[in-house]
Order: sequence, then C-alpha cells, then structure tokens
Amino acid sequence: MSPKKNPLPETRETPSRFRNTIGKYIIKRNSNCISCGKCADLCSYGVHIKPEGHASPFRPIEHKCIGFDCKKTDHYCIEHCPEDALTLKENPLLDTMGDYRWPPEMLLGHFALAETGAAPHVNLEYNLGNSGGGFDMMRFVQPDPGLALDISDEDMDTSIDLNKTGDGRPRKTISIPCYGGGMSYGSTALSVIVGRARAAKRMNSLTCTGEGGYPPEFLPYKAHVITQVATGLFGVREETIQQCPVMEFKYAQGAKPGLGGHLLGEKVTEAVAKMRETVVGSSLFSPFPFHSVYSVEDHKKHVDWMKEINHNVLCSIKVSTPTDVDMVAVGAYYAGAHIIHIDGSYGGTGAAPDIAKKNIAMPIEYAIPKVHRFLVEEGARDKICLIASGGIRNGLDIAKAIALGADGCVIGTADLVAVECVRCGNCESGRGCARGIATTDPELGCMIDEAYVEQRLVNMYMAWRKQWCDILRSYGLKSIRELRGRSDLLVHLDYLDQEERNRYQPAPSSKMVL
Amino acid sequence: MTHMNTDKIINNILASRGRLPHIKTPVNKCDEEGGCGVTGFMASIPIAGKHIYEPSVQMHNRGNGKGGGIAAVGLSAGDLGVPQDVLEDHYLLQVAYLDNIAIPQVESTSITPLFDIYKSERIPTIDDYTTIGLEVKPPDVWRYFVRVKPSVLENFIQANHFHDMDRRKAEDEFVFQNSNRLNQTYYASLGEKQAFVLSHARNVMILKVVGYAEQATQYYCLDDFRAHGWIAHQRYPTRGRLWHPGGAHPFSGMHEALVHNGDFANYHAVCEYLNQHHIYPQFLTDTETSVLLLDLYNRVFNYPLEYIIEALAPTTEYDFDCLPREKQDVYRYIQSQHMTGSPDGPWFFIIARNDPYKNLMQLIGITDTAMLRPQVFALQERDEVQIGLVCSEKQAIDATLQSIAAEDSRFCPIADKYWNARGGSATDGGAFTFTIKDSGKGNGSKHLITQNKFGDIVQTRKDQRHFDRSVDMSPSFEESPQAGRITKLFSDNAREEMKQYCISELVDLDFQDITRLCSTIEVLATKSDANQTMAIDLLTHLNDRIFPTANKKRSSVLQIIRESLTTIFKSSPQIGDRKNRLYAYIDRSTRQALRAPLENEKILVVNAKEFEPEGKDCDSRLINKAYRLGWKQYICYGYKGQRFTGCGFGAGSDDVRFDVYDSSGDYMASGIDGMEIHVHGNAQDQLGQIMKRGKFVVHGDVGQTFMYGAKGGEVYIMGNAAGRPLINATGRPRVVINGTCLDYLAESFMAGDPLNGGGFVIVNGIAFDDNGKVIDLSMPYPGSNLFSLASGGAIYLRDPDCKVVDEHLNGGIFAKLSDADWALIHPYLEENETLFGISVEADLLTVNGRQLPFDRVYRKVMPAQSQALGTSKK
Repeated sequence: MSPKKNPLPETRETPSRFRNTIGKYIIKRNSNCISCGKCADLCSYGVHIKPEGHASPFRPIEHKCIGFDCKKTDHYCIEHCPEDALTLKENPLLDTMGDYRWPPEMLLGHFALAETGAAPHVNLEYNLGNSGGGFDMMRFVQPDPGLALDISDEDMDTSIDLNKTGDGRPRKTISIPCYGGGMSYGSTALSVIVGRARAAKRMNSLTCTGEGGYPPEFLPYKAHVITQVATGLFGVREETIQQCPVMEFKYAQGAKPGLGGHLLGEKVTEAVAKMRETVVGSSLFSPFPFHSVYSVEDHKKHVDWMKEINHNVLCSIKVSTPTDVDMVAVGAYYAGAHIIHIDGSYGGTGAAPDIAKKNIAMPIEYAIPKVHRFLVEEGARDKICLIASGGIRNGLDIAKAIALGADGCVIGTADLVAVECVRCGNCESGRGCARGIATTDPELGCMIDEAYVEQRLVNMYMAWRKQWCDILRSYGLKSIRELRGRSDLLVHLDYLDQEERNRYQPAPSSKMVL
Repeated sequence: MTHMNTDKIINNILASRGRLPHIKTPVNKCDEEGGCGVTGFMASIPIAGKHIYEPSVQMHNRGNGKGGGIAAVGLSAGDLGVPQDVLEDHYLLQVAYLDNIAIPQVESTSITPLFDIYKSERIPTIDDYTTIGLEVKPPDVWRYFVRVKPSVLENFIQANHFHDMDRRKAEDEFVFQNSNRLNQTYYASLGEKQAFVLSHARNVMILKVVGYAEQATQYYCLDDFRAHGWIAHQRYPTRGRLWHPGGAHPFSGMHEALVHNGDFANYHAVCEYLNQHHIYPQFLTDTETSVLLLDLYNRVFNYPLEYIIEALAPTTEYDFDCLPREKQDVYRYIQSQHMTGSPDGPWFFIIARNDPYKNLMQLIGITDTAMLRPQVFALQERDEVQIGLVCSEKQAIDATLQSIAAEDSRFCPIADKYWNARGGSATDGGAFTFTIKDSGKGNGSKHLITQNKFGDIVQTRKDQRHFDRSVDMSPSFEESPQAGRITKLFSDNAREEMKQYCISELVDLDFQDITRLCSTIEVLATKSDANQTMAIDLLTHLNDRIFPTANKKRSSVLQIIRESLTTIFKSSPQIGDRKNRLYAYIDRSTRQALRAPLENEKILVVNAKEFEPEGKDCDSRLINKAYRLGWKQYICYGYKGQRFTGCGFGAGSDDVRFDVYDSSGDYMASGIDGMEIHVHGNAQDQLGQIMKRGKFVVHGDVGQTFMYGAKGGEVYIMGNAAGRPLINATGRPRVVINGTCLDYLAESFMAGDPLNGGGFVIVNGIAFDDNGKVIDLSMPYPGSNLFSLASGGAIYLRDPDCKVVDEHLNGGIFAKLSDADWALIHPYLEENETLFGISVEADLLTVNGRQLPFDRVYRKVMPAQSQALGTSKK
C-alpha cells in the first residue's frame, strides 16, 4: 500500500517583527557609500536591497549575510565595493545570547526556519547544542546508501496515531509527530497562544491550554486544542473538557517535579484573574500533587471522570521522569490512558525556579528507552502513544526521541523561539519580556499578532518535516512510525572509540559567556 | 521486668536476627502499586467468609485484578477440623507452593525436623480456577498445625540467650525466624520462586491470589468458613504480568495480618531503619515493611498499641500542643526514636490480629497523619451481636452489612454509627480498634469493644434495640389507627402536617407498627402520581431528619423507611410501558428502552443497582443520554458506589434536579453548572470537583477532597466533611458545613472578596444528638490547618467560645464580623434552616440557653495577605 499523499500547509516568508534583526554577522555600510547599487546586484541572499527607483540601498539585512564564507565566492560584497564602504565582522552579541542547551546559532537558526520554512543558508548549527550530553552527543548512524528511497516529501508519512487502544473512542491522527505543550492564558500573550492554535490547525496537530482557563479565542480552533487539567484546576469546567479532542492531566512537569505551576503576582492581571476566578495581583501556585489523586486507583477514577464528561475525549497523562517512570507509565496505561506524556528534566522556560530546573527529574533521553522497553515487555507498547518532552528543541531532537522509542514529542520553547524569543529567562515577570511574548502586559503584548505566530510556526514545522523526510528516506523508511524504537540507528559519541567518533560531526564545545 | 532486662532481651532478639541470611534490600520496590481498596470487619460471633465477597466486588475498581488477598482471625475450630485448644495453641503455618516439586524439600528442611505437627493438609480448592475468572492458577497452599519441638526450642533459646524471655514468646520468635529462613531460601534469593509462608500466626490465616480478593475465598472454598474477623484487599500493582501472588496483601508479622492502602514516599528510608534492626524485607513492598515495623514495635520493643500508633503516625502541630503534658513527654521521645522509620506519604492500614497473651482479637484501622487516603469506620451494637467495620469506602461497609443482614436477622443493613478518624490528632489519634474478648457471661460468648488510640470507648446507645423481623413481626395484620390518620392526611394533601405527625408518632410506635405505617404509605403511593410524590416526600423527610426514636435504634427505623422508599420507587411505571405518568422507572435490564419523556412524564426513576460503577455501562452514561432526550428530573437509588452522578451535563443545566438515595459514589456533582442535587444520606469522596454553579445538598457527611478546585455553587452539608475540603477553590462557592472537617479546610482558597461577589465557607461546628437536638461539637474546628495560604474568600466560623486560636491558622487572620458579613451569610443560614431544620435563632445563635448577637457567635477568618493588599473592605 502506498502512503497517501499528504496535504501540506504552505510556507510563506514571514520576516522578523523587529527592525534590527540579530545576525551571526554585523555588516555595515558607511558614509563612503555612493549608492551605486553594486552590492545589491551581487548579493543573492537578500542582504543588500536597492529597489527600483530608490536613490540608495536599504540598510543591510544582517541576519541573511553568510559572512566570511562569502569570501570564496565571486560576489563577496566587501571586496567588490568600489568605495570600501562595507565592513563585516562577527556579531559579538552572540557571546551573550542563549545558553549551552540553546546556543546562539540554534536560536538564530530557528529564527531563520520560522522566517522561511527552509534550512537557513547561513552556516548555523541549529541541530546540536553545546550541553556536552544528551541529544547533543547523539548522532544518527551513517546510512547505507543502498537503502535510500527516491520519493517526494509529499509521499512521506510523518503522522502518528494518538489513540491506539481500540477502545471505541476516535482514532485521532496528527500529521506531524509533535504538538504544542501547555502554555497558559497568563503565561504568554493571548496572540501567542491563539497563534499556536491556528498553526496547530494548519498543521493538523494540537496545542494545549496549559492551566489558565480556556479563552473563547480558542473556540474556532477547538478541534486542535488540548484542555489541560492540572493540579490547580484553574479555569477547568465541564464545557472546556467537552469541547476538546484530547484532555491532558498534568501531574508534574519535568522542569519542576514536586512543584505545581507558578504564576507570580505581577502576571495576575485583571483579565488573568477573571479567567482563573482568582484575586488580582495574588501569586498563584498550583499544588503538588492532585489532592484527589494519591494512588493509581485514584488516578483511574480521575481518568474515568474525564471520560464520563466527554465520551469521545482522549486522555493524556503528563508526568515527570522519576526513576520509576516506567512503572508510572504502565500504571497510566492500565488505568485507561491513551497517551503517556513523559516530561524530562531539560524543559521549562524562565518561570520554573532555578533550583528545580534540570536538577530533579531524569534526563529525557534516559527515560524514553526505559519506558519504551518496559511497555514492550508488558505487551502494551502498541496500545499506547508515548510522547516525550522536556528539552526537545528541534527537528533532529524529535527524530532522535522517536528513534529512542517515543511516538512523538511535545514542543514548548521552540515555538517561542520561532516567534523570536531570545531565552533571556525573565518569563516570570509580567513586564520583563522584551520580545512581547511571555507577558500579560497589554502594551508589550501588542508587539505580536496571531497571523505572524501562526505562519512562523508553520514555517518552522515544515522545515523540520523536511529534515525528518531526509532522515527517513536515507534509511529506506517511508513513515516516521517505522523509526520508532530504532535506537540501532543512533550512536552516542561518548561510547565510540576515537576513530569511529571522528567520522561523525563533533559536538559543539565552545566556551560561552553566560 | 527491669529495664535492663528488657533491653537485654531486645538486644538478644535483634542480635539473633542478625545471624539470619538475607538479601541486600534493593532501593526500589518490586513493583509500584497504588492505593488499593481495603475492607475489614470484626464481629462478636463468627461470620462466614462469603460476606467479604460483596464488599470486595464493590471495590474492584480500587484494584485491577492483579492481586487480591484475604485474612481471617478468630477462626472456627470446627471448620478447620481441629479441637479448639489446638487452634488456640498451635501455629497455623500456611505455606504457598508456587512449584509443587518444592514440597518435599521445604518440608524436610523447614518443617518436619523442627515441628511437632498435629495436622497437615492441602487447603481444599475448587477444581478449575478458570471457572471463577482467574487467569493465573493460585498456588497450592499447605496448612500445618504445629508446635516447635521442645528440644529444638531449647537449643534455640540456648543459642540466642533467650533464657530471660517468656518461653512461649521465644517459640513465637523461632516460628518467625524459621519462616524468614524458609522465605529466604525458597523465595527471596531465587529468580524462580518456589515457596513462601503466607502466615504462621496462631488463629490467623492469610490467602492471596493473582486476581481479586473475593476470588481467594472462592478458590480456597471459604464461603462457608467462619471467623470473627475478616479483612480483604484489592491490589493495584502497576505492572500487569504477574504469575504469583507473593506481593499481594495481607502480610503478616507474627500474629497479625495487615493490608495497606497507599504508597510510601520513603520506602527506602523505612527499609534502612529496619535494616539497622537486622530486619530485611523479602517481598519488597510497602506493606511488608509496614508489618515488619509493627512487629518490631510490638514483639521486640513490647510497645502498647497506643505507642505503636504514635510511632507510625506521629501527633503533630497544634494537636501535639493539646496533648496532656505527660503524653507529650512520651510522644516526644517516641518521635525522636522512630521518626526516621515512620512511613511518609499516603497510607491507611487495616490490621487484624490475635493477641494470645491477652486472649483477645483486634481489628485496627490507622490513618497517616495527613489523612491522604479515604477511610470510614462503622459500628453496630446490640445485646446479642456487635460488629465493627472499617473500609476505604462507605459503600463497602453498607455492602458488608447488607450481605450479613440478609442471612442473619440480628444484623441491620445500616450501621448505628459511621465516622472518620483524624490522623495524628489529639482527639482520636487517627486510629480505632475493635476488640473482641470474652463477654464474661461464662458461656464462652464474646463481646466487642470499640476504642480510639487513647483507649476512649466509642459506643452506641445501650437503651435502644434493633428491629428483628423474626421476633418483632406478628403474622396478623391489623388496621392501625395511624394508618387511618395518614390516609386522611394524604387525602387532605397536608404535607407538612403528615411529616410532623409521623415524627411525633415514630417516638412511641414499635417496629411492627412502623412497618405497617410504611406499608400503608406504600399502598397510598400507588393511588396517584400526586400521592406517590407525597409519599416520597414524606419518607424522604423521615430519612433525612434525625428525630427521637426512644428505645428503637435509628438504624433500624431507617432500614424500614428506606425499604419503603425502594418499594415505592420500584412501583413506578416501567419505561417500556409508556404509561405517560409522572414517574418512569428504568434499570439496567430495561436501559435499552430509554426514550424521550412523554407529555406527563417528568421524573426518571433510575435503579442504579446493577449498573457498572464507571465506563460505558454505568448509570451516569445512561442519565446523560436521558438528559439529551429531554429528561430533567431524576430519582436515583439502589446505589452501591456508582460514580459520577450528575457529571457530563455541561453548562446551563439549571432546570435539572437529582434526588440521590443509598450508597452513592465518588465524584458526584463534579463540574455541575446549574443543576440541583440532593443526597439523602452520607456521600463519598471527591464530590463537587470544579463545581461551577448550582445547588448541592447532602443530608449527611461528605468524604475526602470535597469541592477541590470548585468555582462556585451553593452547597449545604448537614454533617461533616472529611479531609481537604474546598482546596484551591476560586470564584464564588458558598458553602455551609454544619459539622466540621478533619483538616485542611479551604487551603489555598482564592475566591475573591466575599463581600464583593466572592466565596466563603460557613462552619457551624454542631452535631445532632440521638433525639435530633442540635448540640455544639467540643471543638468547632479541630485541625491545625484552617484556611492555609488562602488569598481570597473567607471562613465564617461559629465559635462562640473562641476555641479556635491563631495556631489553627496558617496565613489567615481572625477579623471581626461586620453587619455586611452577617447580611451576606444570613440568607444561607436561613436556607440551611429550611433544608435541615437547624434554626438560626434557636440553634445557631443560642449558646448555653442564651441567644447572643451574631458577632458574639460567628467569627470571620480572612486571608492575611488580602488585608495587606487592601483588596478587602476595612
């Protein structure tokens, strides 16, 4: 049976919201410029633009410049400028951006993916971080060239099924092996979360409310919005569960196991307090755990409750990754869950306390195979959808997670990076987000609109999809489902001998200023 | 015995155990397990094993059929085919053989050379385990009645320096250590397990299967086997493929069986503590470590039960301050010694034990200090028989009593008393004990005594008797004067008058007359729709209200009233008959006939009895369908724990009304948005979760985590709430609790400013005495965590004597009750009066016979932080 042609959403150039974009290089044009327009004629990357009828070129669009790599070409503007009016240097800002997990090039790379829907033409390492472990040390093995398939992206299958139980509830299929993680009304600007929902609809995927209530702005996209039921139960009502295709119990977050959600007072504006029916300006801490669930049989009752409220809803169980996460997963399966969502320790944006982040739960690359294998042993693996999250940053991470045994992933931070988050980590403070993303401030929130968010996300996911198709084709696979559990296709650099290691791309290891 | 001597014995026992072979305790348990369902009862007369069947079946959804077990204590010598003295003196060693090849080897190494065997037999079983639905064949269990050979015991005493020890206790220790060795050799040290000891106590036996608990009684042919006490456990191991029941509960230390509902957070720490005392777990579950702790405190340290309970569930916070000075000194010492071994996290233990040295048997229920697991105790007492029960759900208690009462008219299907324990408290200590001992009547009969941790006795009225059909009913049926009067009142449509009349008559009528009066009402109910409504209204009122019953047990009066209600419900026209009357009846067998209501049909009577508790075949799903078809009013009865009543209707269910009877289940009224639900009796756990709007009335108590995350609604509770009510509630819930709560009321309450549309909880701190008179509780709120960390809303506490102090609060402050506050809460108290007959003026505002102004009776607790933020009106 040949896989049916997958209708794919259209990518569209969606430039930065900011006049000054962040590039890997700084290219300046000084007052020697005579506006001859030669640079614009030469540059094929769109750095220099001098539209018809304009007296002088626009200021250079720096983030499109490929920098010193251009020297080797015949269109290196610096050398061809008759007046030596152009200067090029590396952008020192990169030294202060990002962190080891999200180095600056990965941020810039994702800005580019989200802008164009394709791999950046600038030489940016956007697949690997600098963490020295985890996905950054994993590589796909070099494929046997004989296996490669010659089929188009349209004919490749990147969809996954969310309900494999055969329990009579809908078999929900999403077209890409990932969906959006919970971001609450209150954590980010309304246009960001609604834009995510619009993108989810375009991609035939899902996004999630988080635990801040269900703003009516989601309703046009409700078939693609997961209602989260978390320990604070903020804004959860029967109709919010009745209108969703999937509900998610958030038992814990990998970024802060043992802690509930936090929303500090400054973000609890009048609108947020109204949605959550709480007190304006008063910090909101969700308890840990559910006060009604102290055991797996309570949990089953909890799942049964949701199934009585909505007779078609699928239930996802989000847990962090303690050492016995495999037992937890199996317990969730027997209690009637459709999706077990394990959230590893690398996740979380700025709002999770530093003491918790990365310090408590098990790294996700350990948890995935542990759970996958245990489910296989139990004979339950093909009855449940295993979703991983917590520091899954890019398309390659997703492919690696799937090869380790997950069906798919949940994406949080990358969505925000796609809309130009620079990961400065001030998310908890309502007015601290310089990019107008993680804010409930009406003025800052105006900086971003839904259509922009939607298209940027579609672009990024479509670019990832291209990467997945390339990987699958190279191994002779037609469907992302065939990649699941193929950990034989992965190597970890730490466990290779020197000679073999040299055959793989080395891990980025530059020292960073943090 | 001197302290020196005690210490020496303790050290000798521990040293002796140190010489036992053992495995290193792994960090993790063998498999994770959940809370599970636990149930148990202890009666003054032996009860047949089949009566543990129904409560076990009803708790299937607290297990997953991967582990079930039962234990019996106070066995019937006749049923075992041994003389009474052998039963009492011999150890009843029960070995489960996972592989029958091991039998000769186990016997030749661990049994025959060491014991004098009075009798040994394979426990009889049914032929085919699959006929009762088991998927894994239970092990063959051999039962040996044994005493340690005198020479072997002598050597044991010599080798371990046990000369100062009671010889019989040394024999106990030998049996304990021998089983330990046997388990080590044939179970713990092996990959392929061969055999393990199920129990070795005197007069106690344990059996377990990979299945549900009641399948153990079925498989081992115990339906007619009699014992004073039974406990059962439905296990919920998270892994699915189990081939033997080694990890199932109950577990035994020496003379007890323990079942456990919960999950230790500090399993490893508890194991470390045990290891330090040379005790090494072999089955690697929480439950095993629990019983090993208990055995250590009990048999090695010789602690009295009260101290054992303190070591397991320490008294903390304000409760500790409330203890008498001498107790504080002892408890402080116990805590300093045993805190590291004290199980942390949610747990609830039920223990059945035999104390051959004191000649008594006990059923004990202990909750953890934070009361994280559900638990209900119940008691029924009459001259001839007494029974105490403890379960994770009230419905299981009701099921047990119904099962027993159906065979033995000395029992009533309704208990005389139901209550919860308050964990680690100074009031009851979070534990209750049902003790069976000789009644002292000289005829060998036994008597049941109920006590809390501190030894205070719990009892029911002694001057009242139960209804016993075999004694109280004469065959002739005469027209009574009451029947004539009630017929007249029905024809006059005098609703209020008939209620008052019946309540006044029920004081003096005997059981037979009450039965007749109810029969008359049943007959009247069939005459017309209006009569049926009146009859239901009248009997419901009699069911809900507490009134004087003179020498008659209220539980028996309730039994008659509820049977009548059931008869009337059942006599409603069948849904399939399309009678177009006011009522239409549906049950599981007729559920396919569900259709839209006809013109005159208004009320759907749902007999929930045979429905599944959840899932596709549950009554909640049927009722949802009925709602979509246009039904708005429901009478639901016959409940035995079915869940989710009222769930799934969505927003705007304003014209819906439920009347709920019998043992209703968890999650009722959760998420309701507009409808009205009246519960005529006690209700269970997790009610009113995320409730948004509507009215919810409970003529009784409610269980754990009531109204968690609620956003609104008008709620009236006649009795108490268990632990953690109204946690994380937001919006505008308005709640009246007439009794009190175990603890953690309205933690993280965020319901705005009550004077400005926000929410509040009124706690009246009252109870009804046996005559239905309102009395003050000794403490309006006993817990140490009232309104903790709240940021909005308020508690209105009826506390005229200012018994609640700052130490009860955690982030809240007392504020004076203003006129505006009173104007806010007064209408709710008036509605409370209408619903429950609790008078605002004569009951609530009257203190010691004097009516006081409202601000001398009620106190307001508000969030400290809201004052700082200035969000509340000064």
